[in-house]
Amino acid sequence: MSIVSWCHWLQNTAWATSIRQSDFLFPVIEGSHILALSLSVGLIIMLDLRLLRLMLPTERVSKIMHQVMPWALPGFAIMFVTGLLLFFAQAEKVYTNGYFRVKMLALVLLGINAAVYQVKFYPAMAEWDLSESVPRGAKMIAAVSLVFWMVVIACGRLMAYEI
Amino acid sequence: MSLQHLWQMSYDSHTIDILRNSKYAIPIIQSFHLFGITALLGSMVILNLRLSGIGLRQLPMALLAKQVWRWAIGGLLLAIASGFLVFLPDPARYAANYAFRTKMVALCVAVGFQFLIYRKVIRSGTAETRSFSNIMVACCSLSLWFLVGWAGRAIAFLG
Repeated sequence: MSIVSWCHWLQNTAWATSIRQSDFLFPVIEGSHILALSLSVGLIIMLDLRLLRLMLPTERVSKIMHQVMPWALPGFAIMFVTGLLLFFAQAEKVYTNGYFRVKMLALVLLGINAAVYQVKFYPAMAEWDLSESVPRGAKMIAAVSLVFWMVVIACGRLMAYEI
Repeated sequence: MSLQHLWQMSYDSHTIDILRNSKYAIPIIQSFHLFGITALLGSMVILNLRLSGIGLRQLPMALLAKQVWRWAIGGLLLAIASGFLVFLPDPARYAANYAFRTKMVALCVAVGFQFLIYRKVIRSGTAETRSFSNIMVACCSLSLWFLVGWAGRAIAFLG
């Protein structure tokens, strides 16, 4: 079975159909997906801005990270669950949409970007945490994160238009 | 000159015509609207978690009130500027939309609250420690900004 025909089956299951056709559920799930940006991306960019020394440069990166992440992670959980439901509801249309594919690709790259930070810069954070300069590599990761999150948001918005 | 004249003038202007007729202009401007919203709401979540004493307690409120505040206002300005560009090509449709009207009223109240009350509260010494009034102010702030957000999303669904 091809992915497209699987998507076709998925969006025609009873519950996917009921989400799509609901005057209440679909707007609420979509609205939650968008407004959860405040908890997920909105909080992650604060960390990026700190790494780039554009915000709170006198506070330890590790402290900000430990204070912000417990709130950002549930934000990403809401994003993931609502995003999955939105995908189920219109799987076929979404799967064949170019912006959706770019969005997914950008998310994968963001995952790799975050993993590189965890492996390469997180363990030695104590060494540069309060010094004036953030390692160039860590700054690069923050810049990449900022740019790719903007790509994700823009593709999410453009997906809705059939252009 | 009345406000209506002003809308009519911008409606007829060549620049707005370009926005109206371009396939990509409005979706791209709306993306910037979302960048602004993300910065604004993310900053407001941080400030209010700290003000209510629920989170970020290890970061000094006085510092957040200066540095996170800037990003909140930057996000707000970007959202307002991009919002205008989405509104101007089709003002009659938006003006007739009840969700849009609700959004504009909520936005005025939220901005008023932000600059007249909230700004003073987070800059005062009493903002550092958890208190009932700080929790109330934080609830009002988040409710107002998320009301603006939900009303904004509802514009699309109320036609």
